[in-house]
Amino acid sequence: MKWLLILSAGLYLFGAFSRPFFAAGLAAGAAYLAVRGIELGRLPLVGPHDTLVFFSVSIGLMALPFLFSPVLRQLSLFSWGMGCAAAFFGLMALLFPAFAMPLPPVLRTLWFELHVALAFFSYALFAIGAVLGGIFLAGGERRILDLQYRAALVGYTFFSASMVSGGIWGYFAWGTYWLWTPKEFWTSILWMFYTFWLHLRLRGTGGDKALAWSGIVGFAVALFTYLGVSILMKSSHSF
Amino acid sequence: MIKRIYDFLASLSLGLWLMGGVMVLLAAGSFGGEDTASLNEMPLFAWLGAAPFSASWWLWGTLVLLTLMAVNTLLCSVEAIRKRYGKSGLLALLAPQLMHAGFLLIVLAHLLSAKGGEKQAMQLFEGSNLRFAGGSFVMVDAIEVETDPRGMPVDYRARMRVVEQGRSTPVTVRPNEPLFHEGIGIYLKQAAPFPFPTAYVEIHREPGAGWALAGALLFTAGNVMLLAVRRERRTA
Repeated sequence: MKWLLILSAGLYLFGAFSRPFFAAGLAAGAAYLAVRGIELGRLPLVGPHDTLVFFSVSIGLMALPFLFSPVLRQLSLFSWGMGCAAAFFGLMALLFPAFAMPLPPVLRTLWFELHVALAFFSYALFAIGAVLGGIFLAGGERRILDLQYRAALVGYTFFSASMVSGGIWGYFAWGTYWLWTPKEFWTSILWMFYTFWLHLRLRGTGGDKALAWSGIVGFAVALFTYLGVSILMKSSHSF
Repeated sequence: MIKRIYDFLASLSLGLWLMGGVMVLLAAGSFGGEDTASLNEMPLFAWLGAAPFSASWWLWGTLVLLTLMAVNTLLCSVEAIRKRYGKSGLLALLAPQLMHAGFLLIVLAHLLSAKGGEKQAMQLFEGSNLRFAGGSFVMVDAIEVETDPRGMPVDYRARMRVVEQGRSTPVTVRPNEPLFHEGIGIYLKQAAPFPFPTAYVEIHREPGAGWALAGALLFTAGNVMLLAVRRERRTA
């Protein structure tokens, strides 16, 4: 069924200028995820293949409402940017095998699923913030930054809720809501970064370019937290 | 002079610098390798007392900055309420303060666990028991392991009994379903059916857990309120 994933990437890459094509790309990605879920009998949220697909679908899902924003409706750069991001992570998933191993007992809990799903929704919103930051820096209007703020604030809410559900899961699974592993360190850094960014806005206007750049840097930190830590560092969270 | 110190401690600029500093120090700590991994084996303050400064400098720095950040957060909230009370809507005023309060409770939770947390790993067998200071004990009746056709364990559980003042209460401990008794959590980490049924168990005392949950709930409530306030502003 990997053709669904390739179809999804194709629709994003070659049709993202049009909202129906973008939505079709999202539907194809979601269909692949659903097939994987039925095959596994659970939400596919473990391992690089499944999490990259989930990330790709999350980007499409979270970007969709933004495509209807009056500010972005006529701006094809945004839909292209989000389409490319969703396609990139969808295609990247093809580099990794799709395992069908039984889930370890410690992962069979709603808290785990909530923790991972919310984290990817927030990463997707941070990706939207980065694309909007790029568009502003390329000469976009001030209203783009307001949208970037909304994306970051909702992403921050999802991410905070992901940390809370992760803490509850950790307490029931390992006896502690906090472990000193590289993933936890970088999760805290990412949370702190967006806390920093949301406070930076309180200083008022004047630092628009800094805010736009911060959105891009924040997504880079999110990517390192997700992929960099899993690939380069030893952690209890491997994807 | 005191006013200048107060203004400095309550300033947004200080908060931003402290956040930046904590991020840098945590990033440095994340590359600590085995030294940092050993932090999971004992309460934080015990680790700080035992670890060489070359391994723990980033954590000392983080603690100093977090202490200042807790003061800064508290004073920022006091100032926000003082200056904006009656001038803005109640939700808009309360939402950030609830998030601040949640953050402070989570810091408090970490402090409590850093001081009074305990962890111990052990093996239990069918018929063995765990005795508690109050005279009660937990008895292991059975250890069950389910395996797939290749012999890989797919599920496991320990059937136990809590015996207290002559009363015996049966309970099943599984992954994600620990047994809590007298402030201690008993966690089944792994089980093996051969050569004889064995349960690998961890005992945890986490005094900050309740405070962390309270902080997380406050933070989440404030965060949701903030979203609602921002949404109202957008539609207004």
